[in-house]
Amino acid sequence: MSAVRRPQCVVIGAGPAGLGAALAAREAGLSDVMLLERDFELGGILPQCIHDGFGSIVFEQVLTGPQYAQRFIDRVERAGIEVKLNTMVLEMRGDRRITAVNPADGVFELEPSSIVLAMGCRERTRHQVMIPGYRPAGVICAGAAQRDINIEGLMPGRRAVILGSGDIGLIMARRLTLEGAEVEGVYEIMDHPGGLTRNVVQCLHDYDIPLHLSHTVTFIHGRKRVEAVTVARVGEDLKPLRDTERRVPCDTLVLSVGLIPENELSKQAGVQLDPLTGGPVVDETMHTSVEGIFACGNVVCVFDLVDWVTQTAETAGRGAAEYVLEAGRRKRGPAVRVTAGRNVKFVVPQLVRRPERGVDFFFRVEHPERAARTRVLVDGEELYSRKAKMVRPPEMIKAGADPGKAARGPENVTVEVVAEEEEA
Amino acid sequence: MPAYMKPGELPSRAGLVVVGGGVIGCSIAREATRFTSDVVVLEKEADVACGTSKANNAEVHSGIGEDAGTLKQKLNVRGNRMYDDFVRGLGVELKRQGLLIVVTQRAIPRDGGMSEDERMELLTRKIPEGIVAYGKNAGIEGLRTLSREEVFRMEPNVTREAVAGVFDPTYGLISPYKLTIALAEHAVINGARVFLNTTVTGFRVEDGAVRAVITDRGEIETSLVVNAAGVFADEVADMAGAGGFVIHPRKGATLLFDRQVTAEYVRSSVAEFRLPGQRTTQSKGGGAMPTAEGNLQLGPTAIEVEDKYDTSISAEEIEEIFERFHYLLPDFPRDALISAFSGVRAPTLEEDFVIGASEAVRGFVNVAGIQSPGLASAPAIAEMVLGILHDLGLPREPRPDFDPVRPAPPKFSELSNAERNRLIREDPRWGNVICRCETVTEMEVVNAIHSIIPATNMDAVKRRTRTGMGRCQGGFCHNRVAAILARELGIPVTAVTKDGEGSPVFLGAAKEFLGGGQA
Repeated sequence: MSAVRRPQCVVIGAGPAGLGAALAAREAGLSDVMLLERDFELGGILPQCIHDGFGSIVFEQVLTGPQYAQRFIDRVERAGIEVKLNTMVLEMRGDRRITAVNPADGVFELEPSSIVLAMGCRERTRHQVMIPGYRPAGVICAGAAQRDINIEGLMPGRRAVILGSGDIGLIMARRLTLEGAEVEGVYEIMDHPGGLTRNVVQCLHDYDIPLHLSHTVTFIHGRKRVEAVTVARVGEDLKPLRDTERRVPCDTLVLSVGLIPENELSKQAGVQLDPLTGGPVVDETMHTSVEGIFACGNVVCVFDLVDWVTQTAETAGRGAAEYVLEAGRRKRGPAVRVTAGRNVKFVVPQLVRRPERGVDFFFRVEHPERAARTRVLVDGEELYSRKAKMVRPPEMIKAGADPGKAARGPENVTVEVVAEEEEA
Repeated sequence: MPAYMKPGELPSRAGLVVVGGGVIGCSIAREATRFTSDVVVLEKEADVACGTSKANNAEVHSGIGEDAGTLKQKLNVRGNRMYDDFVRGLGVELKRQGLLIVVTQRAIPRDGGMSEDERMELLTRKIPEGIVAYGKNAGIEGLRTLSREEVFRMEPNVTREAVAGVFDPTYGLISPYKLTIALAEHAVINGARVFLNTTVTGFRVEDGAVRAVITDRGEIETSLVVNAAGVFADEVADMAGAGGFVIHPRKGATLLFDRQVTAEYVRSSVAEFRLPGQRTTQSKGGGAMPTAEGNLQLGPTAIEVEDKYDTSISAEEIEEIFERFHYLLPDFPRDALISAFSGVRAPTLEEDFVIGASEAVRGFVNVAGIQSPGLASAPAIAEMVLGILHDLGLPREPRPDFDPVRPAPPKFSELSNAERNRLIREDPRWGNVICRCETVTEMEVVNAIHSIIPATNMDAVKRRTRTGMGRCQGGFCHNRVAAILARELGIPVTAVTKDGEGSPVFLGAAKEFLGGGQA
């Protein structure tokens, strides 16, 4: 085995988060940045996202997934960042020792000065939402179906029922239709759609695909291949109402029932996770609880815009560079906990350590609300306030604030959404 | 693919035909090859271990849960003792992790009309001692009673309602499908031939003796047939006129959890002691136990079903299992569920094994009604059936050329880094990770496809390598495994199936559904 390499920064995962972080680390002054990717190409999930809508914030342009990815891939190449494809990290320890494998190098070890976690997320499966029935061929998660069609050129089914109205489910309803498959309908257990409004309009309404809110799939029929699913309306407790059950013939069930940040490696290294996001607890530089390990993108929490993934990636890359270049000259200061206030499900970052800089908070609301105001409070003092006609859980909100500008503290940072009339 | 597995190449005669490629059929076939190479196994599915054998709880029971005096208990106790020898050379690991029977407060409710002292005397002394005595009487070795503190020391996550326990150290775990595959391959190494996708449709019986097995691929002349057809054993026996028993299918559902979350949750198998009247089902009660590969499983249920193919799981069953084990393991992480499946047991009306030569048809041996503890009893069942076969004419002399070893291909995830690097230098495909949840490499998939019993579909590859068995359940790797299967088998990807005919993974190529006059 070759000698242990000691890069200044190793980025794990080369999707939008990893690409952005590696570039930012390089541009912030690190000469030895290494990017590890388990797939055979760069870009993560973006190459399969051939629909448009990417880049409106970062590039102020409407791009497809592959176009968005390519811009970063070109920059990564120009920047001379070392890329290892087909490379799977087998182990990561809290002292930042990494064991990885690929067909060319075999099993090799790295001891980088910093790490950026950018492993993204995976799809929730049928068992995690407890859909009973048989286990035939033809039950597939929406992202996997997207990869099959757009990259492999293979159709997972001819007549599909889609469960879940998250963005991938909506986009796949349109995609399957455009490929000549029939989408019987999209079923959503909540009483509101799970995806962005523009996707409901552009992917369902434009193609006359029915959306059944407050519905779920209660049984998968077919021993060898899906033959039908039973669907039912759900009550307020989200439990199926048995007398509303109806059998829908189909050969495929596409599931779009949520994404889970992929933190198996983070756990191995002892990185503290936030039960609300499923990802690492980070501060404003995206530094995790483990010294020298940063995280960004969907491994931290599932974003709905790639542009914001990129933004967290750039923060993490810069944070890692600063950490390495300061080489421990600066002790990590005490952290202020960010509180998720009224109608806020979670906030990233969860901690603020250096209040003298501006911080962008990303958060989701718990329930839809009209005429609301998002606010950032530091020790009671309002540092950010913005009106919104409508807030919805699928649409993540960003609130930029500068806690250092507060008159006192900060001892407490709160992000909240208040109804307009509650003010005054 | 070996020539004998190609369609249409059934042999015209065989010394012994075993109907059913489950753990019982393959155990008997492997044991028979110690005496003769002239053995044929017929399996209607696309792989061995596709029926009850793939969907049980992987337990090598000790016999403690069986009724005294049954054939089941006798063969279970003996089978458990034989297991280490039985699996030697197969390359399949048997773990003897033991069974902890927990006696809890609810075993005898407080309102039972006895004083608290009497009740606790029963719970902490008489019941545990009774279990140990019962086990000893059945010939089970090593049973010992445990105090409450010892129970918690052994399994810190069990309910605080535990008051005492019994430890049964001979209880083991083994992957039932890996064992079945290994037995089938070992039989083939020693000359047996295994025919998949081959359905028995009848028998030729003349002068009260079996002459031939008729299949959908032709006829095999033989004078010895073993009927190990699992839930279909009654129908197979009836085809020969050698029946007289009824299999009434009974479904059992099991929940399987992410091993990264649950690997340490219980160390041994854990079951709760319940008085017979307190059992809600005909199951022995099931338990919480790790699989041979470290995932925790809860179950099974026991529900009578009409359909022998009913391997579905209902919402009620999932809820029932969670409810049942919530008491025993109160803090159990429900959301670590990664899979839920059912198997169908094959009980007879007598609820005991039916093993014996048919009186009506000479040369026809029924091995039926094999439900739990069938896996544990497999070695003893095979031994008993071999005795019957010898009496019916199977050679008695052990073969000097019997090969005792079935070589098992390496598993990347279990190797040292030095071994991994040696393999990657030999073939870079050893360094190409295909299934990231379970760290399975391309070479392992290729090896499975070209193994002695070739894996020709996604589930067959999964059973041999664990691809798609992890927390993402194949989301990331299914198309890669499908592509490797297509490449290695020389078939289009659209011909790749999940588990044999009728289960295509993909229904066409992109754009294929367009056209046909559509706008």
